[in-house]
Amino acid sequence: MIQTERLARRFGKRLAVDELTIGVGAGEILGLLGPNGAGKTTTIRMLAGIIAPTSGTARVDGLDPAIEPERVHERIGLLTEAPGFYERLSAKRNLEYFARFYTGIEPSDAAERSLARMGLADRANDRVATFSKGMKQRLALARTLIHEPRILFLDEPTAGLDPEAARDLRDLIQELRRDRRTTLLCTHNLQEAEALCDRVAIFRTRLVAMGSPAELRERQCEPALRLRLREASGDLVSSIERLPFVRRIERVDGEPGGLRVRLDDPEADRQHLVAAIVEAGDEIVEMVSERPSLEAVYLRLIREEPS
Amino acid sequence: MTRRIRNVLYKEWVSLAATPSSLLFVLVIPVLLILQALFLIWLLPIFIAPDMVSVFVEGSGGLQKTDLFRLLLLSQFRFFVLLIPAMIANTFATLSIVEEKLTKTLEPLLATPVRTWELLTGKALSGVIPAVLITWMSAGLFILGARLLGWADLLPYALDLTWYVTLFVLTPGISVLSFIFGLIGSSRATDAKSAQNLAVLVVLPIFAVIGIQVTGLVQFTPLLTALLSVGIALLDVLLLWPAVRLFARESILIRWR
Repeated sequence: MIQTERLARRFGKRLAVDELTIGVGAGEILGLLGPNGAGKTTTIRMLAGIIAPTSGTARVDGLDPAIEPERVHERIGLLTEAPGFYERLSAKRNLEYFARFYTGIEPSDAAERSLARMGLADRANDRVATFSKGMKQRLALARTLIHEPRILFLDEPTAGLDPEAARDLRDLIQELRRDRRTTLLCTHNLQEAEALCDRVAIFRTRLVAMGSPAELRERQCEPALRLRLREASGDLVSSIERLPFVRRIERVDGEPGGLRVRLDDPEADRQHLVAAIVEAGDEIVEMVSERPSLEAVYLRLIREEPS
Repeated sequence: MTRRIRNVLYKEWVSLAATPSSLLFVLVIPVLLILQALFLIWLLPIFIAPDMVSVFVEGSGGLQKTDLFRLLLLSQFRFFVLLIPAMIANTFATLSIVEEKLTKTLEPLLATPVRTWELLTGKALSGVIPAVLITWMSAGLFILGARLLGWADLLPYALDLTWYVTLFVLTPGISVLSFIFGLIGSSRATDAKSAQNLAVLVVLPIFAVIGIQVTGLVQFTPLLTALLSVGIALLDVLLLWPAVRLFARESILIRWR
């Protein structure tokens, strides 16, 4: 549904997006993760046909946004970073205004339906100026969905919201997953990306890594077993270290008997490790699989990437 | 007119109606201008000797000297009235664009299928139509005021062909010009006041024309006024190109502050 091929954008001497090649399949949610100024918004603007690329190509539902922006706009919904409403007009009037630009929808019905979906039906006739930030963001999502687009571009949907409002909005986006809409989600929030996205693209002007959160974790960080033993003597640690399937073993700071062990194949080798510890006469008090968070993967990749 | 242009036009008017201070400005200023003009025309002949009047007004023999003076002043109104469309169209342009900037609605708007020319035309018409209509209504109010003050005999002299050319040809041209200046001013401004600074570029030439007419150096015949209208129309077309370029999507998002 969305495909870019060496897409690039330069503003004067500054390169904002460098030869980005990504694809988003139908019904997939791809998270675009990157620090401020990484070029995420520029990428979305190019895909939405609002600004033109300097080089490279993009296809959105088979259309080139730089050549046929209006046809692309009929098919996409863009949630901009700043919600942006005519504050003196009511919520419904705002939505009707935007709805009238699309063909094939009845503005008043579409506005009412969209407001109801976002839980704002009872505030339809209130001026937007009276809305909280969270409500404005929900209204912005209502506007994004007013023409029922199959492709969504969501730029920092929960930025600046309090935790409750952010969770409400995430729940709404989660509900959209059921409709199988193709979504490109820009976010700083890594938990959000992990919860909502099928795949993530870590991005800093150019693509750094792309895959499902699980794939990225596996690719970038070795999984580990965290153990708490009754004694964990130095002899035991040495004997574990010598086992052929153990890659590395280290003590956990500040935790008596605490060990972190990295194995070749954590699932298969776990039982052999347990057997070796019991055979050596120690006792396992606790054992948990340690998976690196997406945040750890992200920070590692971004730090390695020259800014 | 396409559905999208009508949509922009309607929204601009609804927005204005929801802003009492702006609405008041648009409606009250023309009335104040007319009342001031009528009051001055009524007042001035009482204090000023009208011997000079015959220099300016030809073909009005048989009128009293005071009436001749009033006729001179009534005739000045034909250009004085141009201040109304200049102010109104500029106000609409700046309010409309600056509001979009302040409320950050331009980007979501640009992500809809509306074309740049449709957006610009809708916004232009939302300013030019009321500017022209309010000017015509103000002219009607002026004529009514002149009748009520007992100057009906003077009106056939004052409302000559130049008056009609000014009202029906020059006024729309001035409105468009003023809107374009408002648009250009708004693209770099962060508030309505600074956006309206460029309006002076439209208002000053109008004052110049009023001054030239008052001195009698140039007689504004219907032909000359028509030529002036053509000149303004050409200027509109010339300035439309940079205005449209300024209003291009990319320019709005990247270069506008």
